[in-house]
Amino acid sequence: MATDASTDATEATADPDTGTTGRPGRPTAGTTNPSLVRRMLPWALGLLAVLACLGLQTQLFTGQERTVTTIFMFVALAQGWNLIGGFAGYACFGQVVFFGLGGYTTAVLMSHAHWSFWPTLLASAVVAAIFGALIGLPLLRLKGHYFAVATLGVAEGMREVITNVPSLTGGGAGISVPVVGDQATTPYLGNDGFYLLFLMLAVGTTLLSALVSRSRFGFALRAINQDEDAAASMGVNTTRTKVVTFTVSGFVTGLVGASYGFQQITIFPERLFDVNITVLMIIMVILGGSGTVLGPVIGAVGLQFVSEWLRQHYTDAHVFILGAVIIAAVVLLPQGVVTYVRDAWRRREFSLLSNVRRYRL
Amino acid sequence: MSDTPVLETRGLGRRFGGLDAVKDVSLSIPAGQTLGVIGPNGAGKSTFVNLVTGHLRPTSGRVLVDGHDVTGARPWVVARARVARTFQIVKPFRGMTVRENVAIGVLYGPTGTGAMRHALRTADEVLERVGLVGQASRSPGELTVADARRLELAKALALKPRLLLLDEVMAGLRHSEIEPSLELIGQLKAEGMTIVVIEHVMKAILAISDRILVLHQGQVLTSGEPREVLSDSRVIEAYLGQRYAKRQEA
Repeated sequence: MATDASTDATEATADPDTGTTGRPGRPTAGTTNPSLVRRMLPWALGLLAVLACLGLQTQLFTGQERTVTTIFMFVALAQGWNLIGGFAGYACFGQVVFFGLGGYTTAVLMSHAHWSFWPTLLASAVVAAIFGALIGLPLLRLKGHYFAVATLGVAEGMREVITNVPSLTGGGAGISVPVVGDQATTPYLGNDGFYLLFLMLAVGTTLLSALVSRSRFGFALRAINQDEDAAASMGVNTTRTKVVTFTVSGFVTGLVGASYGFQQITIFPERLFDVNITVLMIIMVILGGSGTVLGPVIGAVGLQFVSEWLRQHYTDAHVFILGAVIIAAVVLLPQGVVTYVRDAWRRREFSLLSNVRRYRL
Repeated sequence: MSDTPVLETRGLGRRFGGLDAVKDVSLSIPAGQTLGVIGPNGAGKSTFVNLVTGHLRPTSGRVLVDGHDVTGARPWVVARARVARTFQIVKPFRGMTVRENVAIGVLYGPTGTGAMRHALRTADEVLERVGLVGQASRSPGELTVADARRLELAKALALKPRLLLLDEVMAGLRHSEIEPSLELIGQLKAEGMTIVVIEHVMKAILAISDRILVLHQGQVLTSGEPREVLSDSRVIEAYLGQRYAKRQEA
């Protein structure tokens, strides 16, 4: 498991050979080898999974391919939310604003300015990132539900702004990216193209999350999550750390929104700034394990898979059953799948009931 | 360097609405000295620490560390100026091991480097000093009250401070648990660290303070040699009430 890497590193130094002699030389080969294998294992498994996904689309029907593409999209979105909501602990309920801004920047630049898609993709992410920095500076002074409600308000407000400048955004009637004829700046990517694009986004965001998780910066984020005053008193510049994280989170989410805007061809404010998209990101991260690397992946894949399966088998009641499944999951695994498995493994204690008791639900 | 006090405050104050939590506190601590700060609950001791470390912005006065004005500076700026503190209510990072808790200070402190290995090794050295090395891989939630207080101290020491502010590091400890803490603070003193100790345990305050300052209702009631201060009738009055003080005099 990728999230275990930090504990691997600490176990290496806990070894009496390196711990007590305190010699600054390089550690002995005997202590690094087993931990090296353990450290490389998640990367190897991840690489295998990506290679499998690279071939998977050739085996799927068109409908299935679209479903899997959507799963990749939500993996990337969940990873983006996990940076600010999971690692830093700032539950952003307006994350969809970055998604919508990314999509609309893409649609406007491609249709009005006739940019091709790839530079547009980058520009859209930059717009979302700058917006993240601008609203992050004031809003990240708020905590808990104050921050949640404030960001929710920003997203709702932005939807209204976009709706009310029809000359630029097409207003409520939507805006279309030119994909055919002379107007098309970039050939439409098609099912396989978008499958690969969203796969790359999912892989890229997961790698980013893995890097953050084991870095000095990741340590600061976890410290902020636990206790901001204590983090600041140990030298962590909490303001800068939070704003940078929110900016990167906005960038990532903007990338996904831009890709979605191109994929959909025609976009509407109601769809691009839909609060349900934020809610899905949050549920996925929390079910999977907030503040972990694999949590958002497991949450996004799991939730989409269950949702799709229920849709096919219980056409009438699938939303109802899905709701019940989510509630059951949150009650039984309040800390998320990844954190549960990790703790259960360490304690050799797998009972879900004792898990519920531990979290005093 | 030897002439400049490590900590100096001039007319330091903080108002909350109509209440002066701290008012006009001026003091100066030369390098290597230990100042004990005492006062009844609500006297403004913790607020004073918060004003020095940047967790609260003063509404009046100045704070100088090593002669540099840090008034109103953010906590991480003060921390990197090698001022470390503990919190009265312990603040461990629960999602991390004890070792990682301490490593944060090495990673982000005054000598902060990005090297994780170095940080974890230095954290072990600090844990060794405070007697927590056996708990290094534990989660802070599994620690006893005494060990949680030691962790708080270890996190402060990870910054390699010149000035250390201890906000009740011995509160809630048993007699046998206070001894090792006193011994450690004595060692830090011997190494030349400048220390501010807030404590209710009088025995501890007397053992380690070079001078004592008494805060009462936000203001300096008196300050001076420990024995002298503790026998001052105003101090007894502030702590135990007027009637008790009068009975003592009679």
